[in-house]
Amino acid sequence: MPLSSLKPKMRPHSSLKQEFLKKWIMGLQRCSFSKKNMSILERKKAIKFSADIAMASARNGTTCWSRSLISNASKEGSDIHVVEQILGSESDRPAVENKVPTRRASVCKKIVKRSCRIRRRRRRRKCVASAPSSIAKHLVRKRREVLKSLIPGGEFMNEICLIEETLDYITSLRVQVDVMRSLASASVRASE
Amino acid sequence: MSNRRSSRQSGGGVSRISDDQIIELVSKLGQLLPEIRNSRSDKVSASKVLQETCNYVRSLHKEVDDLSDRLSQVLATIDADSAEAAIIRSLLK
Repeated sequence: MPLSSLKPKMRPHSSLKQEFLKKWIMGLQRCSFSKKNMSILERKKAIKFSADIAMASARNGTTCWSRSLISNASKEGSDIHVVEQILGSESDRPAVENKVPTRRASVCKKIVKRSCRIRRRRRRRKCVASAPSSIAKHLVRKRREVLKSLIPGGEFMNEICLIEETLDYITSLRVQVDVMRSLASASVRASE
Repeated sequence: MSNRRSSRQSGGGVSRISDDQIIELVSKLGQLLPEIRNSRSDKVSASKVLQETCNYVRSLHKEVDDLSDRLSQVLATIDADSAEAAIIRSLLK
C-alpha cells in the first residue's frame, strides 16, 4: 500500500502561509486577553506556543507530527484555551462536532498509545543482527534515533513514516520561519 | 551501498519496506536540505542526508526561538492593532 498517496502534500505555499498567519494571530490575541501584564519571557513563550499550534493545526490533522504536537500541547492546562481558539477556527465543516479539540487530543493519545504498543512488538522481533553491513545500518539507525527525537511524535514512527513526516515538518517549519521573519521585520518598520 | 536496507530484515513485521521507497524518500529529503541541494553530487549517502536533516531541523527550531525572542521585544503588547497593521503589510508583499 503506497503510503505517500494517503497524505495530501501538494499545498500551495502562499495559502499555507496565510492560514498559518491567520491562526497564529488568533492565538496571540487569545493570549493577550488572559494576561495583561506579561513579562518578556512570558510573551516569547506565548508567541512561540501560538506559532507551533498554528503551524500544526494548518495541517488539519493529516500528519502524525501535527497531531502529536497538538496532543502534547493540550496537556498543559493553562494554555488550553489558546489551543481551542486556534483549532476551533477550522471546524467549518458540518461533520465536526463542538468538542473537536479535546476529542482530537484524546484520539491522539489513543493513537499514540496504540502505536507505542505496536512499536514495542516490532522492536522485539527485529533482534537479528549478524550481517557484516550491520555496522553501516547501525550508524544510520543512530541518526534515525536522533531524528526521531526531533520530530514531534517521532518515536512511534517506522522508517517510511518518519521520512515522510520529516519532509512535511521541515516544509511547515520553513513556512513558520518565513512568516515570523516577515512579521518581525514588518513590525520593526512599523515602529520606526 | 550503505542505504540499501534489505527487505528481509523488515520481514515479519506488518509492512514490507522496499528499498526503492526509502531511496526515493531520502532523495526527496535531500532536495529540501540547502546543504545537499547546493553541493549536489550524484551519490549522497542516507547517513549524510539524515545527519543534515537533523542539523537543519535543529537550526530551524533555533531560528523559531530567536524570532520569538525578537518578536516578544518588538510587539510591546500583543494587541489587535499593531498586529493587524503588520499583517497587512506582510501580506501585501
